[in-house]
Amino acid sequence: MKLKFAWLVAAGMMTAPALAADSIKIGLSGPFTGGSSSMGVSMRDGVKLAVSEINAAGGVMGRKIELVERDDESKNELGVQIAQELINKESVVATVGFINTGVALASQRFYQEAEIPVFNNVATGSVVTKQFAGADFKANYIFRNAANDTIQSAMIAEEAVKRQGFKKPAILADSSNYGQLGKTDLTAALAKMSITPVATEKFNVGDTDMTAQLLRAKEAGADVILTYAIGPELAQIANGMAKLGWKVPMIGSWTLSMASFIDTAGPNGDGAMMPQTFIQQPTTPKRKAFIEAYQKAYNIDRMPSPVSAAQGYDSIYLLAAAITQAKSTEGRAIREALENLGTKVEGVVTTYDRPFTAADHEAISDNIPVFGLVKGGRVGPAHPEDIEGDKALRIKPKA
Amino acid sequence: MQILMQLIVSGISVGMIYGVIAFGYQLTFATSKTLNFGQGEALMVGALVGLTTINFLIGQQLGTFWAYCLMLPVVLAFGALQGSVVEWLGVRPAMRVKSESGWIMATIALGIIFKNLAENIWGRDALKFPSPLPEASLSFGGIRIQPMEIVVVLGAIALMLGVEFFNRRTIYGKAVVATSNDRDAAGLMGINTDRIITFSYALSSMSAAFAGVLVAPVTLTGATMGAVLGLKAFAVAIIGGLNSGLGVVIGGLILGITETLTGYYISTGYKDVPGLVLLLIVLSLKPSGLFGKATIKKV
Repeated sequence: MKLKFAWLVAAGMMTAPALAADSIKIGLSGPFTGGSSSMGVSMRDGVKLAVSEINAAGGVMGRKIELVERDDESKNELGVQIAQELINKESVVATVGFINTGVALASQRFYQEAEIPVFNNVATGSVVTKQFAGADFKANYIFRNAANDTIQSAMIAEEAVKRQGFKKPAILADSSNYGQLGKTDLTAALAKMSITPVATEKFNVGDTDMTAQLLRAKEAGADVILTYAIGPELAQIANGMAKLGWKVPMIGSWTLSMASFIDTAGPNGDGAMMPQTFIQQPTTPKRKAFIEAYQKAYNIDRMPSPVSAAQGYDSIYLLAAAITQAKSTEGRAIREALENLGTKVEGVVTTYDRPFTAADHEAISDNIPVFGLVKGGRVGPAHPEDIEGDKALRIKPKA
Repeated sequence: MQILMQLIVSGISVGMIYGVIAFGYQLTFATSKTLNFGQGEALMVGALVGLTTINFLIGQQLGTFWAYCLMLPVVLAFGALQGSVVEWLGVRPAMRVKSESGWIMATIALGIIFKNLAENIWGRDALKFPSPLPEASLSFGGIRIQPMEIVVVLGAIALMLGVEFFNRRTIYGKAVVATSNDRDAAGLMGINTDRIITFSYALSSMSAAFAGVLVAPVTLTGATMGAVLGLKAFAVAIIGGLNSGLGVVIGGLILGITETLTGYYISTGYKDVPGLVLLLIVLSLKPSGLFGKATIKKV
């Protein structure tokens, strides 16, 4: 018994400090297979690109960053298992990722309890950063650098009603958490402009026939369709409209930029508009460098999901800046450094100048995203004048 | 009126797909009183094999239409093979030991294996299937139909007529009918009933694979496409009656049309409800299905 214990201690002493000393472990959780994989894979590739750049430049505090990647397959229960594995077995200092709001909400409580920061770089549900905010919690370990649904739904309503003058919107949302929470946000944003949608329709993920939903919207006299759903079903909406010989503009959440929508809808998807924090165009030197490095590293021309790639890339630079400032890999110190970031971080999406405070864990404010437009299989700017000249770099206003 | 017709037309094309898959359930139930619960997966694997074949043929400089036509026999042959494997691995051992439920577990397990296999080979993303016909819709007095939807309906009818013709007019078909009517008596008459059952499984998966490549150009192809369709078709088989070929076609149409009509006239949120209510009503009033013959089970 004593001998066994001694062996265990010896083994523990040999492995644990050795690993901790030579690399900084960062967890990476996202769906790399399945319906959300175009976002997950782009996010992962953006993250890996940033890590390899940082490591090539000498790492953080002289130590290399080591990524621990796990595929959560968009499944809540798998996300929970991964969170426990990354915290207890891999002892990560922070985790980046999460594409699906549901997976984020299910997983991040374990990080909160272990006091390890989580960087949501894609999930958009408004509640994600608010889960542990408020007086009941000493500190909030959840950060985000993606445009949340409150921002996106307000932008969609603004674009449809104010900028383009549509008066009779129809909302089409899927029955998932993402779709239904987005639908609520959208209805609220429209109500602020005293507009009630003429139709609010629902469909299941995996539905292939949208005739009933589209006919209801058409008969209600809709002049624009506002969407909250993901790629394959959005494509069924676009194709269904073409089948019915009815064409009104589609404006919706950022998922209209998913490759699965653009490729499946083909020409029927042209003209769809959605909020984007990043469009694959070299409008700033940093963006140009990022696009070229990404294309070279992964040998592709069109990024499957440019927004996810850019946000994934930026999340690592923000985290690295915080670790450098904290001079520590302890969770509490990293959180405090993030909330009081002293150095400006030049990212792809924006330049982060004190992006977080103790009360505000959202790096992306409502002035940062612009509208993208699908045309010929690619997403370009809907209003090129929005990102011309010095408007290309949009920075979060100081609190 | 125009809207009603449009909804009915869409309902028919959805319902015909349910009908073809349910027809596959009926084929094996008739001969062996067993079902392949992996029917949805048979459809999915068939569609994915079709996708690979058609992409290969298009790569050989063939037009999409001819590639689609050439792909059909490959997919039908594959479906027949896949069905035989299911019968051989899952159903025959259970029937040999006269197990009442072994085949249920075995066919579900095989379905899961086929799904995992497909995920590993084709990935888990939904893929676009090339359409052999133009995707622009045709207008008939204001009712708009995609050419492929017409093919779905015609193809489904052709398949079912083909099987009926085979059963009624050929000597092998008569052996199948004899086995359906009384397996023991057919065996005593010198019919190799084991082979007939294998054959009915082959035919059943073949019709599922055919349904897969029919529906694929209208929807998307992927490892998860079979799950919902297989389940809906099972409901159709129960509504129509498991021992009636005509019943499952009508059951499919009833379910497809109620779905689109409810979606439009009541709410798209309740689209799936009336079909399930109908299922419960049929089960409580006429458990053998609308067109099924009630049989007395002697014990």
